Amino acid sequence: MSSVSLMNPDDLGRRFLARLRPGRDGWLTAGVTFALVIVALGASALLLTMNGASPSASLSAIWDGSLANSTGWTATLLNAAPLLLVAVGAAICASAGTFNIGQEGQVLIGGLFGAWVGLRLALPGPMMVVAVMAAAAVGGGLWAGLSALMYRFRGVNVVVSTLLMTFLAIQLVTFAVSSPWLQESAQGSSGIADAQSNPLPASALLADFGEYPSLLVNAGLFIALIAAAGAALVLSRSRWGFRVRMVGLNPLAAKHTGVRVSVLGGFTLALSGAFAGLAGGLLLASPVSPNRLQAGLSDNVGWDGLLVALVARNRPLIAIPVAFGFAVLRAGGDFLSATGVPYFLVDIVKALLVLAFVAPPVLVSLFRGRRGATPSTPSPQPVVPTKKMEAAA
Amino acid sequence: MTPTTSAVPILELRSITKSYGSVTACDAVDLRVDAGEIHGLLGENGAGKSSLMKVLLGLVRRDAGTVLVRGEEVALDSPQEAAELGIGMVHQHFSLINALTVWENVALGDTGKVNKQAICAGIAEVSARYGLPIDPEARVDALSAGERQRVEVVKCLRRNPQILILDEPTSVLTQAESQELFAVLGRVVQEEGRAVILISHKLAEIAQATDRVTVLRKGRVAFRAVTAETTPQLLARQMVGREVSLGDEGAALGLLPVQRAGADGGEARERQQPVLRLAGLTVVQGGVRVLDDIDLTVGAGEIVALYGVEGNGQAMLGDVLSGLVVPTDGTIEVAGSRVDVTRPGVLSKAGLGIVPEDRHHSGVVLDMSVAENLTMKSLNEVSGRFLVRRRAMLAQARRLADEFNIVTPSLDAPVRSLSGGNQQRVVLARELSGHTRVLVAAQPTHGLDVGAIEDMYARLRRAAAEGIGVLLISTELEEVMALATWIAVISSGQITGALPVSDATPERLGMLVGGEAA
Repeated sequence: MSSVSLMNPDDLGRRFLARLRPGRDGWLTAGVTFALVIVALGASALLLTMNGASPSASLSAIWDGSLANSTGWTATLLNAAPLLLVAVGAAICASAGTFNIGQEGQVLIGGLFGAWVGLRLALPGPMMVVAVMAAAAVGGGLWAGLSALMYRFRGVNVVVSTLLMTFLAIQLVTFAVSSPWLQESAQGSSGIADAQSNPLPASALLADFGEYPSLLVNAGLFIALIAAAGAALVLSRSRWGFRVRMVGLNPLAAKHTGVRVSVLGGFTLALSGAFAGLAGGLLLASPVSPNRLQAGLSDNVGWDGLLVALVARNRPLIAIPVAFGFAVLRAGGDFLSATGVPYFLVDIVKALLVLAFVAPPVLVSLFRGRRGATPSTPSPQPVVPTKKMEAAA
Repeated sequence: MTPTTSAVPILELRSITKSYGSVTACDAVDLRVDAGEIHGLLGENGAGKSSLMKVLLGLVRRDAGTVLVRGEEVALDSPQEAAELGIGMVHQHFSLINALTVWENVALGDTGKVNKQAICAGIAEVSARYGLPIDPEARVDALSAGERQRVEVVKCLRRNPQILILDEPTSVLTQAESQELFAVLGRVVQEEGRAVILISHKLAEIAQATDRVTVLRKGRVAFRAVTAETTPQLLARQMVGREVSLGDEGAALGLLPVQRAGADGGEARERQQPVLRLAGLTVVQGGVRVLDDIDLTVGAGEIVALYGVEGNGQAMLGDVLSGLVVPTDGTIEVAGSRVDVTRPGVLSKAGLGIVPEDRHHSGVVLDMSVAENLTMKSLNEVSGRFLVRRRAMLAQARRLADEFNIVTPSLDAPVRSLSGGNQQRVVLARELSGHTRVLVAAQPTHGLDVGAIEDMYARLRRAAAEGIGVLLISTELEEVMALATWIAVISSGQITGALPVSDATPERLGMLVGGEAA
């Protein structure tokens, strides 16, 4: 009865997330995962062959573009940082039982806020880059916060609203870079190239450590690693993290012990948006992009970061290697597409691998359920009305 | 097989064995049910009653053993086969769809074209024959619990079962309603040569309604007898496997306790300093007054019982006192000061602990550890400024686990891995820790075995002896009579009466439960 209104923010997402938690059938799940990865790789090889590319040449192209030399490593690490930030944010709000899938839009809005600060404010020295990053985080947080408010006051499903807000964000950024707000000064209204902003000033960019042609490590990577470690610590050890996990696992029990469930759920959603926004700031201010705001700035980083969190089962520390793996595919995929293999094939490979990692726990639980090995699923208490209902009916 | 004669039982189970993994739910169980009898199947939770019935209904496959219906060996591989053989079951929990009418619910599961006229006529016929009046056009959500039970029985009887299984049918019925149900069943069974298997853990019910009885204990048949030749005490001993006193254990098993002498002074005692006072508490939900102007006072050191049939507002009262639902109207005072219930967690801060009706609902977080569950209400005491101090948390959890005899592989094990009784102790330990002044225990013994029930009774009494006011919300008459000093009765969301236990008799309480002034 009352429990429906207390399920915050959405029951469906919560049940979906519950499936993704590490299960008790560890070995079985690992085995199924291994088998599915083999299947996914086989299917990928088949697809490549069917499209006229050689699987082995493709593999070596991915290798060359990502891990074979210092340039590849540089590209991989540049790709890994924003993915990791998005994933950490997704993990935080998933721990509270909220399913944010609008990171792609939150990344873009982060980029928009960061670009506005970087191009419009003149701050001295290192203050500048700090302000750009802070603005990006605030932007993403506000954008996700809108979804939280929509849920809080109008009951709009968080999954739906965060998703749809992404398309709004794309429109907003497209408008911003093709209107006097942020349009490139050299470009006229009849510009042929895609609209974009001016490049950010050097003081607004994140520093690189190392020297070309050896390995370059961008400051963004340290931000992402610190965020992942911090989130892991906070979630597992802090009082706040305890409450977040409680809300995620049983919101009614959390409410009983005095947690403001809807406030905490909304806050974690905004926080996950802030991490996505910060990822947008990283994209804007690191060499992975041309340091200009473009509608294509996010380049699927939001979606891929969400997948990283899925594969890592919402554990921030596990997300570090997973983000690295995805970054290998992104960097290597860029290189591969330069050899003539269409990029969508890389996307398909990525999707197959994600399925191989995400599906096993669900498959195992389906398998267990089918065999009837869980005989004592408690049936929900029936809702029995009082006699008053008779009078009302 | 020998040809069918009147001596052949309508149903015979021989050496039925069923295991789930390493757990043997039924171990070579024999059961013989004759036509024309009501056969009681008695046992504690986990004794194997449900597994046996699932085998009989074709819901699970037996590992070994034979089933004979009227002397013929049958496979029983599917629920369809069981239905064709005339085996029907009325389940413990309603399987009705609230938004549909009675006739639609009854027709569910039929095959072929739906003919409303024919179905309604069928319902009318069954209703008249068995004395179970029901309006086929009524929507199920407009029916009382007793009427719903009637719909379930009609639904089952319309399929003309030769063997009817009733699983704890009286948990939602008033005493009058259950007596009526058994009277009808007794008549039908005798006149038409059918058989009923009545599953219950209530001794009084078995003694009253059945012809013969089989007692299961730990998956084996412990005892079988003609009911008239046995006594409730004997049945209780067989069910539990040891001597049973008539006090708490008897109550736990569904026997009315003998009047306790002295302990409570017999006469209506002077009410103590109130630690919990509900005044005009009202909850309106969807236009329905689920709780209607509840006034209730619990004094320090008292056990006040709120007795009533399931589904009369108790669950909502539990939700309000858990801080999950904000009442529409009325006030709650804890330890003399009014509590602003719109703020989360204030009731527990004010010193109200609650063992909720369904512990999985709001009592425990199954996937968090025992230590975390034990300390989640006092998190600030085991934390520094920012981080939870793990050592302090474990120390407090260890103290509570020892004090409340919580059996757990480790304090880091998830609560999910504990038995029901131990999960309930986790809730009780947490809710009694700190400066608790009032303890609300809603159906605290539901689904627990006898040992755990006795333990719960002892702990509730001890809490009261320590000066904590206890509000016991219960549907078990025997439990209420055994524990409470005052009994208030709830019916349709209203308090219909309150009386000291010395004035309470099953008859008076029964009338109040039915909504009549006694």
